[in-house]
Amino acid sequence: MKNRFVTIVAAALLAFPMLAQAAPVKIGFINSITGKEAQIGENLTNGASMAIEDLKAKGIQVELVKEDDGGDPKNALAAYEKLVTRDGVVGVVGPYTSGCANVVASRADQYQVPLLVPAAAKEEITMKGYKNVFRLNAPANVYSQVLMDAVKAFKPKTIAYVYAATDFGVSTVKTAQENALKMGLREVANEKYQQGQPDYRPSLSKIKAANPDLVFLVSYDADAILLMRQAKEIGLTPKAFLGAGAGYTTAQFAQQTEISSLVVSASQWTDDVNWPGAADFGRRYKAKYAKEPSYHAACAYEAMRIMVETASREKTAPKLRTALKAGSWNGILGPVKFADYAGFTNQNNHPMLVQQIQNGKYETVYPAQFSKKTLVYPFKR
Amino acid sequence: MSFLQPLISGILTGGVYALAGIGMSLVFGVMNISNFAHGDLMMLGMYLAFFAFTLLHIDPYISLVLIIPISFLFGYMMERIFINKVIHHPHQNQILLTIGLGLIMSNTALLAFTSDPKILTTTYSSSAFTLFGDVSVSVPLLLSFLITCGITLILYLFLSKTSTGMALRATSQNREAAQLMGINVAKMSAIAFGIGTALAATAGALIAPTYYIHPLAGHTFLLKAFTICVLGGLGSVVGAGVGGIIIGVVEAMSSTYLSSDWKDVIVFLIFLAVLLLRPQGLFGKKGGQ
Repeated sequence: MKNRFVTIVAAALLAFPMLAQAAPVKIGFINSITGKEAQIGENLTNGASMAIEDLKAKGIQVELVKEDDGGDPKNALAAYEKLVTRDGVVGVVGPYTSGCANVVASRADQYQVPLLVPAAAKEEITMKGYKNVFRLNAPANVYSQVLMDAVKAFKPKTIAYVYAATDFGVSTVKTAQENALKMGLREVANEKYQQGQPDYRPSLSKIKAANPDLVFLVSYDADAILLMRQAKEIGLTPKAFLGAGAGYTTAQFAQQTEISSLVVSASQWTDDVNWPGAADFGRRYKAKYAKEPSYHAACAYEAMRIMVETASREKTAPKLRTALKAGSWNGILGPVKFADYAGFTNQNNHPMLVQQIQNGKYETVYPAQFSKKTLVYPFKR
Repeated sequence: MSFLQPLISGILTGGVYALAGIGMSLVFGVMNISNFAHGDLMMLGMYLAFFAFTLLHIDPYISLVLIIPISFLFGYMMERIFINKVIHHPHQNQILLTIGLGLIMSNTALLAFTSDPKILTTTYSSSAFTLFGDVSVSVPLLLSFLITCGITLILYLFLSKTSTGMALRATSQNREAAQLMGINVAKMSAIAFGIGTALAATAGALIAPTYYIHPLAGHTFLLKAFTICVLGGLGSVVGAGVGGIIIGVVEAMSSTYLSSDWKDVIVFLIFLAVLLLRPQGLFGKKGGQ
């Protein structure tokens, strides 16, 4: 009898640590797999999958629960609630768009499950003092800040804004206006547009009539190509086109050299930056998916890596939160630390890069310590 | 800035809207069915033009010669297989069927062609010429507009001069009476749906060189086509043509003189005003559906 008991205990002792090891940490991933933002969503999916594979190669197992929000905040919230209540994940990476991330962030403290936002730019997300919301990428104000810093030396005098009527567009332009004010730039036109329209010529003609030095654009995906095409058509030639992220940083945009050449854009990441593993990530991504990675892919990769590495060590949501807050990392997105500064909470003070399309390729042109090429100014056809 | 710029650009863009609206209106007139798959049929036209251009190296405007018969056959078969099963059913059944067919098409396209927007870049995609000193006219838009006019003219002649065209109009005016007069209304429905599909696909192909091609791109135009139809009078081909141009011009004018953010508001205010003052639409027949 005693013997049998010992055997059972021994067996249980043997079985238990194995069980604990076999049960990998559960992480949720909310992304726009379908809907309007699906193209950028695919970059995030691919980046995150590469992170999971790399971690597996290092012996870190993870059970990833993927949810699609279709770019809709209400689906994103439903997905987050499902992940934390039904799936019991210890941490969540995502969602992609500002609108979705903002809504989910507002509930993270209620459920006490850390949320790591990889690429949403709206400032508010990390400005409300939420303890469980962390953001890897730089917020919207940095987009305009870094773009204007890059052209500051050329002393432009006037600026016009063209932007999508989305959370990202409106918040980016709002901070751009503040930055422009500080630089002494005079605003000569302000055109907000609804996405996916076939004709932007009337808005662009108005901009052309105002003849600004700088044209500041915020657009997703294909709208960027449409706008630049029609800008060429009506002969809009400012001294510089400044594209804030998203649609102006895709490989497809760069390929349209006739319209995209010399357009300046802000990016969270480029593959020619000298952060550890950045170039290698770019190469492996291209080999695997036969596509150029956008900065979203790199952000998703790094967010997933940080989340899984930390979560697999900490196991529970409250410990994960403490570890994310205390930790620091250095990877393909440069040094990462979630800090409290200038009204932000748990925000990584990520340095953004300015790139310009030269000969159909994105070249990093600013800040000088990260770049090999110099900015071409003024813009010419 | 000249007043002519938004006017011309609005008329040219409105031409393509009109083409999308005419197809929808024709189907409604003859079959009394609101085709919610219309936008997705436009999307098919976009992809046909794209593949004709990239795989067969045919100019998107010339590829219409292929796209029109292919899409006519597609629409004809679709009517025979699916639509005619619900032709005598309540409206909600028909709407559900066409929405369902549209979803199947757009999601199949999403699977087959992925969600990457395709860009059809021709040598003239961003070229323009100047009129009256400062009015720039987009070359691809002008070409699309001229082709739209040509197609509308052919359609008009077909409807008013040929016996099939007259049978179509008779079916549109009174389905039962037309049947009593010996018109094969089932066949007329299939022909009307084929023509409607061909017009949608043509509109898609015409806009492809200046727009982007995406599995969900049709949805923007579905709402426009529907607004145009109701504005012009459901079932009225002329009404849809005029409605399209009106919407194009109103959009261009309001984004020039107000803000592009407001253009949809203005379009729908006009839409509401028409519905209130003339519920049958600008060219609709009184007492019609």
